[in-house]
Parts: sequence; structure tokens; C-alpha cells
Amino acid sequence: MQAYSLDRPERLRAHLALQRRLYEVRPDGQGGQHWQTVSSQDEHAFEPASEPPPFSAKSFFFAERELLFRFEGGQFYSALPQVVPQVLFGLHACDLQAVAYQDQFFAQDAHYQTRRQASLLVGIDCLHSCAGGFCSTVGSGPAVRQQTADLILLPRQSADADWLLLVASEAGRLALQGLQLPQADDDWQAERVANQARVAAQQGAQEEIVAGIVRLNLGAIDSSTWEELGLRCLGCSGCTSVCPTCSCYAPLDRPSGEGNAQRERVWDSCLYQGFQQEASGHNPSATAGQRVQRFWAHKFGDAFKERFAAYGCVGCGRCDRVCPGAIGVHGVMHRLVRP
Amino acid sequence: MIDATPRRLLLLEQYADGEDARHFSLCIEQPRASDKAVLPGQFFMLTMPGVGEAPFTYISLPDAQGHFSALVRRTGLLTQALFEQPAGAILGYRGPFGRGWPLFFGDHRVLLVAGGCGLAPLAGVIEEACRPRMPAQLSVIYGARHAAAQVLGRERARWRQTLRFIETCDQAVPGQRQGSPLEHFAELFATQPPEVLLCCGPEPLMLASAEACLQRGIAADKIWLSLERRMHCADGLCGHCYLGSSYVCQDGPTYSYDRYLQLVGNSSPPAIAQHDWFC
Repeated sequence: MQAYSLDRPERLRAHLALQRRLYEVRPDGQGGQHWQTVSSQDEHAFEPASEPPPFSAKSFFFAERELLFRFEGGQFYSALPQVVPQVLFGLHACDLQAVAYQDQFFAQDAHYQTRRQASLLVGIDCLHSCAGGFCSTVGSGPAVRQQTADLILLPRQSADADWLLLVASEAGRLALQGLQLPQADDDWQAERVANQARVAAQQGAQEEIVAGIVRLNLGAIDSSTWEELGLRCLGCSGCTSVCPTCSCYAPLDRPSGEGNAQRERVWDSCLYQGFQQEASGHNPSATAGQRVQRFWAHKFGDAFKERFAAYGCVGCGRCDRVCPGAIGVHGVMHRLVRP
Repeated sequence: MIDATPRRLLLLEQYADGEDARHFSLCIEQPRASDKAVLPGQFFMLTMPGVGEAPFTYISLPDAQGHFSALVRRTGLLTQALFEQPAGAILGYRGPFGRGWPLFFGDHRVLLVAGGCGLAPLAGVIEEACRPRMPAQLSVIYGARHAAAQVLGRERARWRQTLRFIETCDQAVPGQRQGSPLEHFAELFATQPPEVLLCCGPEPLMLASAEACLQRGIAADKIWLSLERRMHCADGLCGHCYLGSSYVCQDGPTYSYDRYLQLVGNSSPPAIAQHDWFC
């Protein structure tokens, strides 16, 4: 990768925002954080969050609600999203790995790809682990993998050193045109290796996650354990909403007057009781335990890992943070490895 | 890229064909050459504009003019609305989807077991076997709850002339065959034991049939089931029709029994109570 020295990340941000709509995660002043647009004149300092933001980049490409087609005057009309070129600035390795995972899953989905192809992804390496993350264990981070980003920001341990900027794709290279940056002669590879070692040490061995994955794939978990976990699932869909790789949706048809109609798709959740229920009433996943089992098989199952060359879990820890029943990833894995 | 937008489908006519079931003649408007490439056991997505979209199987497969037929049982809002449509109504079509039945015609003896509406996905296979010069290697056991619930009346009248076609009802009138399809296996296996099973019906009936055939010496990879799941998008994306790591809308709905067991993670045979044998 080509590496440049970058005196201030705000300079890159302003440059990219000149030609694209740029989004960055910022505090909302009320205790929350959101993806917000940033103009090229914006003077706010870029302050990378020490925790993954509450919401990943998922909804930028897999929209929470999206029109699929209109039926008007007896004819069907496709509806693809109108997009403008955009930049997501400051994505952590875990969230970028999730985008790469969904890029595969939605490879043939025109709505997803229309949004995705209009997007430039600027990643940022983590120098320290977030509180609940385990990217080192599932192999998604903490160093941004080159094939998941267009540009990679590398902050420095020393506050007075310039940032480094790595060019991860041809689109990233083109996006830098017009920005005069000196080539970096630092040994950035060594810095990244050191960062990875530090973060991995902070995250620890994650023994329950590792052992839980093994037990889950051995089919060693009996249904009573899953039902016990299911008792703690409220079916709130918090986990599936914040999980950056969850991709289930429901088509939703509605009449729009005068014999016209439209179909949208909306995010759905495999934890909802009616997710698989057929019109006949037959429900192959009628119990909460079956549905919880499904969710985790989808994240850690060998068959899915084989198909996507990665786990469906990127180790961001968001499910731990939102689950009111304490059956996020660490809660579940702890129970699965308990003898 | 996937085109999630339906094409126009015309409702030509419909007639009652069993309790709460109707037989629909449909026509794909401006058919393409690819519309004819349908295998028995595949399905299409039918849109009732403003109500929804649901999967149905083909009875007769699309011809060069785009004509085909389907059997629909009234079970929900969409089918209720469909039953009320007049001839000429504009519906939506996407398809075909999924994998059809493996066609074992040759020198194999094939047993078809159908329960209730499960006869519909097998109709195309039976039609194939009824063709002139096709060796009559196919036997059918068709179970229904009672006589009024039997579907595909016109087709069955024709099929009976050509094939061994056993019809049985959970509750039969005196003089008619009674009981689950499984109760007639012994009779069929006594003469010319089948080597292949194709089965479609309620899942417990399918699993019990599969186990019964395994015990009688048919290999698990020669036993095929057609699974029902909530195939909501048919593109392998929405997630609703999962069966383990597989999506039924793409990898199914037909599965060999060994693959099915692998997907549900069962190394031991499923426990099916005898009261689940019925249609």
C-alpha cells in the first residue's frame, strides 16, 4: 500500500467532502452518537471514538426501509434508489469487515449495490481495544484489512507525530487527487503490527468465545440449553438491528389508492416469533430457543464461514450492549461453555 | 443483478378443485424463451398487488404462449384476495425459483407419496410419467384428510388410467381406502419394491415416509422431500426460509433426505409419532 504523511485528518476530510457527501459519527450532545453529514468547511476536530458507534454503516447500503417497485395503472415499475457519491469517514476494522461480508451476501442485490458503489470507505486502525470488542479473536481487526477499505487512517501513539494515510484501493487513490501529501517514510507496517499486538493483549484470550464456537459447531448444545437462553430473549430485535452483518428483511406490500400499490422491504428479525410462520400456521421455529439458536448458528456456523470465508460475527460487541436479557455474544458463549 | 420487480400475469380462469382449493389458469404476458425452462417441483412467486407475494408450484408448466396452471389453497389474506379475482385480473409473476425434482425416469421404480395439497408439486412428475412410450415405473400413494379435501380431480381421473394410483383418506367412507399413506406401503413394496421416493405433504408425514422407505432399503440419497418454508423473497436474501445453513427458496424446495438430515443437524432419525402420519 502507498503511504502518505497527513498533518491533520481534518484536511483529508475537507478534501473528500468537496466532491462527496461525507458522513462521520459525532456525539449529538444528548449522550448519543450518530452518523452526521460534514461539509468541507467544517472545523470540528476529527475525534475517533474509542467505542464502536451505536449504529454501524449497515443502513447506508441495506436501507432500513426501501421501495422495491410501484404498481401503477396496471403496470409494474422498478424503483432503484437515487444516490449521490458519499464517503463514510472513520470506520473501524470490525465495521468494515461487516460491510465486506454484506458485499458478498448482497452481491446480486441491485438496491444494495447501487448504494454501495456510490460509496468511498475511509477506515481507521484502532490503537486500543474498545471495552467489549474481540476483533482479534474473529480476525476482523484491529488493523483495517486492505480489501475492506479505500483509504486507511493510521493514528499515532505519539500525539505530535503526523497521521499516516494508506491507500487501499484504486478508488482511494483517485479520491486523493488534488491533495498534496508527502510520502511517508516511517515503518508503518511495524506500527500496525505493534498496534495489533497491543489490542489483542487488551482483548485477552476470549476463551469462552473460542470454546463456544467449537461447541456450537459440534452440535454439542442440547435444545434445553437453547430454550433456557430463549427465556431471556424478549424478541425486541435489538441485536439484529445493531448487528452489522444481520440482513433479514420482509417484503411489505401496500395499496396506494386507485388500484395502485407498492412493495417496500423493511428490516426484519429472525428473533421475532412470526419470522418463519407460514400462512397455514405451521412455524418451524416456534420457540424462542430455536430462534436464539438460529441467530448464533448464523453468526458462528462453519457452513456460513465456509461460504463467506469469515464469521458472521465481527466482534464489535454491540449485541452485548443492547440486549436487555444479557444474551449478547458474551452472555450466550458463557452459557454454552458452562458444563 | 436480481430483478425484484414482478412481470404481468393474467388470470385466465379458475375453478373449485377440492375443499378451499382452486385451480387457476394463468398467462405470463409477453413470455420469454426462458419462461419455458421450468422443472416440475420448482415454484413461482405470485403477486396480488397491494396484498403481497407468495410462492406456488406449477401444475402444468408454462408453454410457448406463457400459459400455465397452479393449484391454490385458501389459507391467508393473499389467497383469499386471489380467490375473489375475476378473469382478466392483473397479477404479478416472478420465477421459476428453486430446484425441481430429480427426474429418475429410466429403469428405476419410483414411488410418489403425496399428502393433501402436496400432490400439486408432484403433478409435473406424474404428467411426465404418463407420456406415451414412458415405461410405467411410477406408483403414487395420495393421502387426504377426507374425500372432499382431495385436489386435482380432473388430473387424477386421467392419471388413474395410466399409473398405479392409490388414493386413501384419513377418514374414508365405507368401501374406500382408509388411513395414512404409510399404511399402504406394505402392499406396494410386496410386489415391485420402489427404489426411489419423491414425497410432498405435511412435514411429519414426509419424515415418516422417508424413515419407512429407509427401513425398506431405499438409500437416503434416493429419498427426496419437498420442504415448505416461508419463501418470502425467493432470491435467497430475506432469510425467512432458512433450513439450517440452506435457504429453501434457492437450494430447495426439494432436498434429498440425507441432505435434509445434515441441515437439521440430526444424526438420529426424527421421532415421528403415528398420529402425525396423517394429511
